[in-house]
Amino acid sequence: MVPLTRLSTSGFKMNKKYLNIICIACFTVVIFGFLLTNIIAPDQEFSYSERRKLAQFPQFSTEEFWSGEFFEKCEDYFLDQFTFRDGFRGFKAYVKLSLLGQKDNNGIYIKDGYIIKIEHPLKESSVLIAANKFNEVYAKYLQDLNVYYSVIPDKNYFTGPENGYLSIDYEKMLEILSQNTQNMTFIDIFPELTLDDYYKTDIHWCQENIIPVADALLKAMNANALASGVNYTRHELSPFYGSYYGHAALNTKPDTLVYLSSQIIENAIAYDYETGTWNSIYIPDNFNNVDPYDVFLSGAKALITIDNPSADTDRELIIFRDSYTSSLAPLLLEGYAKIHLVDLRYITTDYVGELIEFQPGADALFLFGAQVLNNAAMLK
Amino acid sequence: MLFSSVSFLYYFLPVVLALYFLVPTRFKNLVLLLASFAFYFWGEPTYSFLMVFAIGSAYLHGIWISRAKNARIRKVALISSIVISIGTLGFFKYWAFFINSINAVFNSTLNPLNLALPIGISFYTFQILSYTIDLYRGTVRVQTNFINFATYVALFPQLVAGPIVRYATVEEALSSRKHSLADISYGIHRFISGLAKKVIIANSLGELGVIFAATNEKTVLLYWIWAVAFTLQIYFDFSGYSDMAIGLGRIFGFHFPENFNFPYIAKSVTEFWRRWHISLGSWFRDYVYIPLGGNRVSLLKWVRNVAVVWFLTGFWHGAEWNFIIWGLYFAIFLVLEKFILNRLFSRLPGAFSHFYLLLVVIIGFVIFNTFGVTESVISLKAMFGMAGIPFTNLETGYYLASYWLIFIIAILLSTPALKWLAQKAKGIKPLANMSGALMPAVHVFLLLLVTGYLVDGSFNPFIYFRF
Repeated sequence: MVPLTRLSTSGFKMNKKYLNIICIACFTVVIFGFLLTNIIAPDQEFSYSERRKLAQFPQFSTEEFWSGEFFEKCEDYFLDQFTFRDGFRGFKAYVKLSLLGQKDNNGIYIKDGYIIKIEHPLKESSVLIAANKFNEVYAKYLQDLNVYYSVIPDKNYFTGPENGYLSIDYEKMLEILSQNTQNMTFIDIFPELTLDDYYKTDIHWCQENIIPVADALLKAMNANALASGVNYTRHELSPFYGSYYGHAALNTKPDTLVYLSSQIIENAIAYDYETGTWNSIYIPDNFNNVDPYDVFLSGAKALITIDNPSADTDRELIIFRDSYTSSLAPLLLEGYAKIHLVDLRYITTDYVGELIEFQPGADALFLFGAQVLNNAAMLK
Repeated sequence: MLFSSVSFLYYFLPVVLALYFLVPTRFKNLVLLLASFAFYFWGEPTYSFLMVFAIGSAYLHGIWISRAKNARIRKVALISSIVISIGTLGFFKYWAFFINSINAVFNSTLNPLNLALPIGISFYTFQILSYTIDLYRGTVRVQTNFINFATYVALFPQLVAGPIVRYATVEEALSSRKHSLADISYGIHRFISGLAKKVIIANSLGELGVIFAATNEKTVLLYWIWAVAFTLQIYFDFSGYSDMAIGLGRIFGFHFPENFNFPYIAKSVTEFWRRWHISLGSWFRDYVYIPLGGNRVSLLKWVRNVAVVWFLTGFWHGAEWNFIIWGLYFAIFLVLEKFILNRLFSRLPGAFSHFYLLLVVIIGFVIFNTFGVTESVISLKAMFGMAGIPFTNLETGYYLASYWLIFIIAILLSTPALKWLAQKAKGIKPLANMSGALMPAVHVFLLLLVTGYLVDGSFNPFIYFRF
């Protein structure tokens, strides 16, 4: 019998016939192995890493069968329910970034342990839509208020240009906003931020690092107290796998989610207009949600009003915002008795006026991340 | 169904392979036929009936031709077959083009119908034509077994994007073929190579096409990146598909003809077309060019023959003017080469003719890849700095930095460099043994990597499915 392999002076030698058998066996094991595991493994309803519902086996209908739609849905189902899906995505990402030397994978790259998404190019028309939306809200509700706007840079702002990655032209974005918004003052928070102020695995900033941002906003809006004057108590939750962790599909170290409490924050309560319930500012149980960032003010909500009974002022603030403000708003409580948080992605401009009252002399702030401004069609 | 899909790789293929190798020999063609219908039905439920009609018509015409009592009836049977085949192809592929052209010229309002193109119709129609014409010529025997004939036309490995397999090539294998470990192993090797070419290289280069279309900051350099990327993408896409088809065919015991032979190392357009889509080129040579007289005619008629063949080659690719121009563009270079360029290049170093060929091909694919003549002209003007756009910018630099290695790999793999290295390695025993032993590991690595790309990616149909 011919040995399968033998080490000889000429090196590693293998009989051609056995080589063919090994080649066929490997191929067979892979395709039949995954056929079996895909059949046996129970279907998943949700991908926590991708934060989306997974396709289920389609319901049969004669119409969809003959139109081909049924088979297209089957393709989606096979892809979504593929065994070790996340592992395969990670393998592809590793090869693309490390072996093929590509600068990003699906628009995401990793720099110094930070997972960073490329937002590019600047969509000038979108920024114009945002500016017009600010003006529309002003004309409708804010004419007797002190109105401000600010922009939150994304992580790529800090790493992109110097490392050769594409990024938004922030200068142009601010210029468009400046030229097209009326009766509102720009508050520059860029100098208060560095890359370290953001989570490594998430899109958002870390609450414990944005006290200078809160101070800059409070100062600019003439509040009589600053966040930096408060002795906050740190609470840590870990491991925190942010939204980019699943997108990147690569093994990176998780973050620790820190939230800061004080007497004022502990006494404050938030009214959720969607559910009609009063809640605490922080809900640590939400750390186990699909998005652990929901710890801050229950996450994505259309309209929230925070009542601050410990305030030594009766000033009110209305923030038109995105999710960044969920962790910032508690730090602004030092200066306000009431803060309304309006997320125009989930509530229409017209409807807001039916739910909250705009007190003359109150402050209003438009505070959005660059990603939302660059995709402002989502503002209602 | 796509070869480069999870449904094909991990559901369809293992099931078909298991059934095929488990059933007795006499049922193997039936398994292949049913699998082929399922394969086609998955992507084109309603047009499956059109394919069944085409197969039935060709089968009956084959019997008619073979049993015709005299030459005149044989001819009538052949013409009938050709009219039905070309008529069906013409109606589904070219009707809208003709009607839109008539409407444009005569300002009429005829209904173009805008029918969706049945996948693979250009390929299986040409296979059917080769059968009936060869039968008429007496170079093949009639196939009376319907299952065998239907298997020939519908055979899923080459059904939707070739190579165009002549009936004569598989005539014997349809009734009796051998399966060997060596063939199956080689088939797996070709299949995985093609899969990797398509999914890892062609699709990556295809991303640049999407980026190019989306950006508002085009530069001269980005136009060239886009043009070169498409030139490489279409090669890896189409030759990848051919590799997969040839590989799958080999697993099932069929020996399909090669369709590509490193076309980008050619030094003339004439040579390029001997290396690119060989099965289409040889089809037009044998069924159009030579019947017209080939090159054994007067100079004027030869030019006519070349123009006809290249007009048809362009038109075969799509019912758009830019495809016709693309075909005739190559005809012009073929004529120029015959009279001027070949003599000129013979006096110059080989690099000149190679550079000339690459330039002609890249520009050709710009014409091919744009919608309409106006867009072609705009793109070509931009490539040669006549559009008033900057030479480069930050964005172009980024994409160049991100894709340069893929370009290098693609360029290297589009030459016989790897083949040459393998040949050299064969001469060094330890290296040859080691590379042979590593091959299964390379296959598994590529298969898993392709799976990663598929699971993470979106739907990426083959470019040649359009034709």
